[in-house]
Amino acid sequence: MRTLVGVGVWVYMVVAVLTEVLLYYQHLAYPVLVSVVSILATSQGVAIVLFYMQMKDEPASVKLFAIIPLMFLSALLVAELASLG
Amino acid sequence: MYTTNHKDVGLLYFFTSCYFGIVGAVLALLMRVQLSVPNNNFLNAFYYNQAVTMHGLIMIFWFLSPIAIGLANYFVPLQIGAKDLAFPRLNALSYWLYLAGGVLAVSSFFVPGGSASAGWTTYQPLAVLTAGSGPTLTYLGLVLLAVSITLGSVNFLTTIIWLRGPGVTLSKVPMFTWFFLFTIIAMLYAFPTIIAAFVLASTDRILGTVFFTTQAIQPSILWDNLFWFFGHPEVYIVLLPAFGIIANVIPQFTGRPLAARNAILVATALVVIPLSFGVWMHHMFLTGIPVALQGAFSIATIAISIPFDVITLAFVESLIRGRVKFATPMLFSLGGVVLFIIGGITGVFLSSPVLDRVFRGSYFVVSHFHYVMVGAAIFGIIAGIYYWLPRMTGHMYNEKLGQLHFVISFIGFNILYFPMNLLYDMPRRIFTYQNVGNWAMLNGIASIGAFIFAGAQILLAWNVLHTWFRGPQAPPNPWGSPDLEWTSHAEGMSPAANTSSPAPAGGWIGQLSSAPAAAAASAEATPYAAGEHAHLSSRPLQLSVGIMLFLAGAATWPGITALGLLVVGGLVVIYAFWEWAKDDMHGRFTMPDEAEGERWPFGGVPKLKLGMWVFLSSEVVLFGSFLGALIFIRAASPNWPPAGSIHDIPLGTVNTLVLVTSGLTMFLAIQAIRQGDQRRLLGWLGTTFALGSVFMGIKVSEWITLGTNHFVLTNPTYSLAASAYYIIVGLHGAHVTAGLIFMIYLMKKTSSGFYTKENHEAIENFGLYWAFVDIVWCFVFPLFYLL
Ligand code: HEM
Ligand SMILES: [Cu+2]
Repeated sequence: MRTLVGVGVWVYMVVAVLTEVLLYYQHLAYPVLVSVVSILATSQGVAIVLFYMQMKDEPASVKLFAIIPLMFLSALLVAELASLG
Repeated sequence: MYTTNHKDVGLLYFFTSCYFGIVGAVLALLMRVQLSVPNNNFLNAFYYNQAVTMHGLIMIFWFLSPIAIGLANYFVPLQIGAKDLAFPRLNALSYWLYLAGGVLAVSSFFVPGGSASAGWTTYQPLAVLTAGSGPTLTYLGLVLLAVSITLGSVNFLTTIIWLRGPGVTLSKVPMFTWFFLFTIIAMLYAFPTIIAAFVLASTDRILGTVFFTTQAIQPSILWDNLFWFFGHPEVYIVLLPAFGIIANVIPQFTGRPLAARNAILVATALVVIPLSFGVWMHHMFLTGIPVALQGAFSIATIAISIPFDVITLAFVESLIRGRVKFATPMLFSLGGVVLFIIGGITGVFLSSPVLDRVFRGSYFVVSHFHYVMVGAAIFGIIAGIYYWLPRMTGHMYNEKLGQLHFVISFIGFNILYFPMNLLYDMPRRIFTYQNVGNWAMLNGIASIGAFIFAGAQILLAWNVLHTWFRGPQAPPNPWGSPDLEWTSHAEGMSPAANTSSPAPAGGWIGQLSSAPAAAAASAEATPYAAGEHAHLSSRPLQLSVGIMLFLAGAATWPGITALGLLVVGGLVVIYAFWEWAKDDMHGRFTMPDEAEGERWPFGGVPKLKLGMWVFLSSEVVLFGSFLGALIFIRAASPNWPPAGSIHDIPLGTVNTLVLVTSGLTMFLAIQAIRQGDQRRLLGWLGTTFALGSVFMGIKVSEWITLGTNHFVLTNPTYSLAASAYYIIVGLHGAHVTAGLIFMIYLMKKTSSGFYTKENHEAIENFGLYWAFVDIVWCFVFPLFYLL
């Protein structure tokens, strides 16, 4: 059963990577490409964390260790970009 | 030398940081001599700039934080009833890396061109343009220090949440441990950005990357963001342990529990820590960032001073309500609070972008941060030294001398720093000045104060040493403290004498335990005498020496000495790792079994796994800072090479799929051993190893092609893009390679039948690591290849 889930995640990963590359060849508007790729990459990360790292089975307190750094990081990123004016 | 015992390591930290403190103090005194009269030429600009820079760096990084870490090493396990830290060898490694970093930094004075001289804030591009290997040595020393602190944070965090003894529920954890917990949370997320910043600055100096020398973008903004994102949390990192000590000390000398203990904890946990990562731009008000951003950060800065009002008021209330006994630890705590109030008030002035225009870069700022960093932080630490000296030495210090020390320190401190508030019109970091206004007089007074303050510390040193060797016997619990480090001690010394009352119960977080604190008096009763040799490991020392030599070689590159250092250092590192692995294979290093104690809210999580999660949590910020830097550079540069023009997209796609597949095979490896199937485990590990190797192989071939296509650092068209690509992809590759090497070890252990259904923690944890490396690539790939 778990094996099946693992393979399912892998299939999703492959599809996501290929989608990213195919979209690149479509010559979309740059902002569109950036947003779609960001969403896909993030979803890959989430899939790995939840299933391969089995975060979904961990107590909420462990989940915090994933969420806190992301909060700080997004603050850093947003401010870095904002300070470009 | 080879110890991994937390008390020994604590003392090592303590004395080493005192040594660095003396170095920093000598530099400061030299500066004060130079500034004592106008137009002085005791130190010229060359030496003055080095002194001012290294004074700041050494005091902040090699003295203030480490001395707190030393006390924490000694007392956090005792306060929570743990036998040792969660990972004793890692703890020893942290210490040796700290020392190795310090040696690199101090050695920079002795190379041609001198040490770093661009200020402790290392503003770019000024710093990176300073020639010589001295600054590089310092930066690499800082990287080592930051790595040491990150590892230490993982260790302490795991210890505090996982190794609390029976009955030590969160509501019974003493204040010092609580505040140190807050400190390490801040460290865990702040230090990775400084690693990123100084790695980038060092590669600029060593490998010729152009992150901060490029003309294509405004790299100073990048530096400021990275540095101050770390820098502001750092000021709390310095402050909070001292606050913890003060909060720990006050109840013992007022005869009543700390007022508003839970309010203090909640304010710190929910406001100070999160917000400390959200105010850094108040250091950048004058860098031309947009006004809206300035407004937001100004408000956040004022907001963060509110919880400190809560804390300060709580301290004051405790003092008013209690009957105060003015023993030395209490005096220093009081002094710390008073000086913090003064420093905090000047800080609020500075948080206004308008006023900051006047005060920025002046001695007003110098006064502000010394009131908080020296006044509050060092006074708090000194309070802790006196407070715990009887526990560390078994002897009582000389109270009269301690009080004298306080009086002279307090007076000296104010003579030193108060005049600087009036020097708000004098720029800082200048090596000399004209005789205008009252500058000469105020500076002269400050210099006199400096010598009074520094001289007073001789009393401290004498008192500590005298107590250690000659002091009268101290009672087991001289302050009548309810905390475990004293009560368990008292019990150990005379089992009948334990009349401690339970710690003031809070129960604020919904977990109340009926077990009295005294039940946890387990740690001290069984000292580590049995099987003591099993706790010695020479590997942390060897590893640190190897790394130090290697980095010294890198910093002084090129040259024959440098080459020698690189080779020898590299060999020592390999040897240390090899032997460390062998120790483990043969089970040569064993840790004491920990009694099952309080672990809420992390009950079901194994210790190593928790450590791994904490570590990865910090790695998120490390990679995030690098990727953030990349995105910043990318967004800022007008002519970045378009996607597809440099990198081979089909090849990159294939390689990505290879790595993704290795994620699956690693997952299957874990599933195999969970069912106890060793053969399948070995098979899947082997497959993962093979895929990882293919990934690295393709990487190398890509790099070779890129090199032949002139995608190199020295090519002006591509220098920035190449810098970013090689460093970030290289860092990821290094993580993959480290994983591959570790997999060899795992495979060897598997084939000897070591892992079983019940016992395979290492496999699970490696799975976490490997998956993490996979995730990073999911972001690196599109960033470089597709966007
Ligand atoms: C009440 C809370 C605080 C406020 C509102 C505050 C505000 C500020 C501001 C606005 C600056 C920038 C001044 C400038 O460069 O023009 C500053 C600088 C500084 N603060 Fe604070 N601060 C506070 C507490 C602290 C604490 C607790 C520490 C350390 C323990 C600290 C250490 C520093 C340092 C080291 C600098 C100077 C950095 C440099 O070299 O440029 N501050 N503070
Ligand atoms: Cu700040």
